[in-house]
Amino acid sequence: MSARPLTDTRIVLRSLQARPLSTWITIGMVATSVGLLLVLLGMRSSARDAFDRGSGNTHLLVSSDPSPLVAVLNGIFYANAPANPIPWAKYQQIRGSFPWLWAIPTQQGDSYRGYPTMATSTEFLTKFEPVAGQPWKLREGRLFERPFEIVLGAAAAKGSGLRLGQEVFLTHGSGGSREGGDDHAGHVHTEYPFKVVGVLEPSGSAHDRALFIDLESSWILHAFDRREREGQHGKVGAADLTDADRLITGILLRLPTRPGSDASAAMQQQFDALRRDTSIVVAQPAQQIQRLFAIVSNVDGLFIGMAVVVLVSSALSTMLALYNSMAARARQVAVLRVLGASQGRIFGMVVTESLLIGFAGAAAGVVLALVGGIAASAWLRASIGLVVDPALDPRDTVIVLGGAVALSALAGLLPAWRAYHLPVAESLRPAA
Amino acid sequence: MAEPALDIRDLRFSHRGGGFALHVPAYRLGAGEQALLAGGSGRGKSTLLQLVAGLRDVDAGSIEVAGIRMSALAGAARDRARGQRIGMIFQTFNLLQGFSALENVMAALMFGDSPAASHAARAQELLGSLGIPDPSAPVDRLSVGQQQRVAVARALAAKPALVLADEPTASLDPENAVAAMDLIQDACRANGAALLCTSHDPAMRARFTRIDTVDAFAAKVAA
Repeated sequence: MSARPLTDTRIVLRSLQARPLSTWITIGMVATSVGLLLVLLGMRSSARDAFDRGSGNTHLLVSSDPSPLVAVLNGIFYANAPANPIPWAKYQQIRGSFPWLWAIPTQQGDSYRGYPTMATSTEFLTKFEPVAGQPWKLREGRLFERPFEIVLGAAAAKGSGLRLGQEVFLTHGSGGSREGGDDHAGHVHTEYPFKVVGVLEPSGSAHDRALFIDLESSWILHAFDRREREGQHGKVGAADLTDADRLITGILLRLPTRPGSDASAAMQQQFDALRRDTSIVVAQPAQQIQRLFAIVSNVDGLFIGMAVVVLVSSALSTMLALYNSMAARARQVAVLRVLGASQGRIFGMVVTESLLIGFAGAAAGVVLALVGGIAASAWLRASIGLVVDPALDPRDTVIVLGGAVALSALAGLLPAWRAYHLPVAESLRPAA
Repeated sequence: MAEPALDIRDLRFSHRGGGFALHVPAYRLGAGEQALLAGGSGRGKSTLLQLVAGLRDVDAGSIEVAGIRMSALAGAARDRARGQRIGMIFQTFNLLQGFSALENVMAALMFGDSPAASHAARAQELLGSLGIPDPSAPVDRLSVGQQQRVAVARALAAKPALVLADEPTASLDPENAVAAMDLIQDACRANGAALLCTSHDPAMRARFTRIDTVDAFAAKVAA
């Protein structure tokens, strides 16, 4: 207790100290709700970010999936292995139909310990950029150059523990029953060892979970299965492949663009042209992701709504705690009035008290959100390889903090009103 | 000649919802003068002090404290005038719990005009002259006698023209009551403040040369 002059703020702080339990609980409630809101908002923008990563500089995605949205979910986010194949002839026909900048065939469906394979051409790793403007980078080794070589996505490398030079056997099918009651579903191809020749840097997209191989090795595995079914045993080589083996599940397309622009004048025309072919489905990934996000944002809107309710209820409990403390503080308020404090000044003190709870809670909430965000991002990175930026969006943060402080000010109004109208003479009577 | 510390003219007041009513045709207290307001409890002694302090509104008439017509002021202006011109002492002291003796006295200065930097010195000087050894001690840890001193110091901190003491000895034993009244009366004299003290204790009469009874101000309650 120093000899500094007494000020309104010191009186307010002393009031908060006088009932520590209530003060800390209300600050804790505000902090929890602010932290929750910030984490949810951060996760929403991270989710949006994660959805934006993966299709990269692809203009169009062709597949035989039931719908464009499913095509994007399977082809870009590896939701399921695409069930319906596209014949190689169809790929050649589409590639020849227009002077594409590139047309990359992809074939999904096999896996290694739950990590999906992506059989494709080397263009997938040289021309296709998983995030527009950020081409693939090799962390070590090289790209695949011949059949039965594997390049690992960063998360697949980390999760599987595979190292450069190691040999692995792929599983036909993704561990589930891709081909119904087929005996060969989930069958491990011990006949064909693959060798790890390269590991990629993380791209922050779902592709990081994939193992990249060339199309021919995938076709050979499938040809082997086909021949087993037909009763022909023994090794299969590239020469044994038939058109029935040369199947793909998707095509990534990019049209020529003007320098400095990502858009192509021919886009709509080519999109419509491909759509006329009923044997395939064509998707503009960006558009489908937009649709997908519209669906997802309904769900996270619900979560955010709940967090807002928590924030409002924390403001209500601040109000209740303050309001109830007014009865115990009536004498103090009355004494200050006797000493010359105006009603307005008393009102201001109570609102200040409520504001201080709001500020302290908001500040603690930001710390909670940062710590929680870092922990969540470390967990996501370690468990599923998803790269989520733990940073808080400045705009969201300002809105949430402003809202929390404004709500605290509102919460102070009713108790302040009670203090404003306190009957001074009655409150000074000796206690019974 | 100095203006009177208190000048009441034709004051009328009645409690809403019944009870007693007051009518004070004229009441003056000179600068530095000390008077006892006697009368049984429930007759309106405290109410009259509250009217003077502007804690209640008069129905009619005027109250001037050191030349300022309190009854004509409202709101913040009246609160401010009270803080600067009137000190109040209560039976139960009404100290700010959780604050030090020094802070309690400084609280009387924070709503006035004196520069904040001077508050601590003024409070320390008063507490020193009233014999509080440790001004930084929380008031809840002081003895009853020391709390009384802090209450007196607080009432005089803003250099008021008038101190209103409402039953200041009612909760004290006779021995302590004598000491308390010595303290209050001496401190008011030393600080140039007039004193209007209420008490229902007949022993108090010997201490004052001027004694008024509140019964003289009793008015008929309007039907």
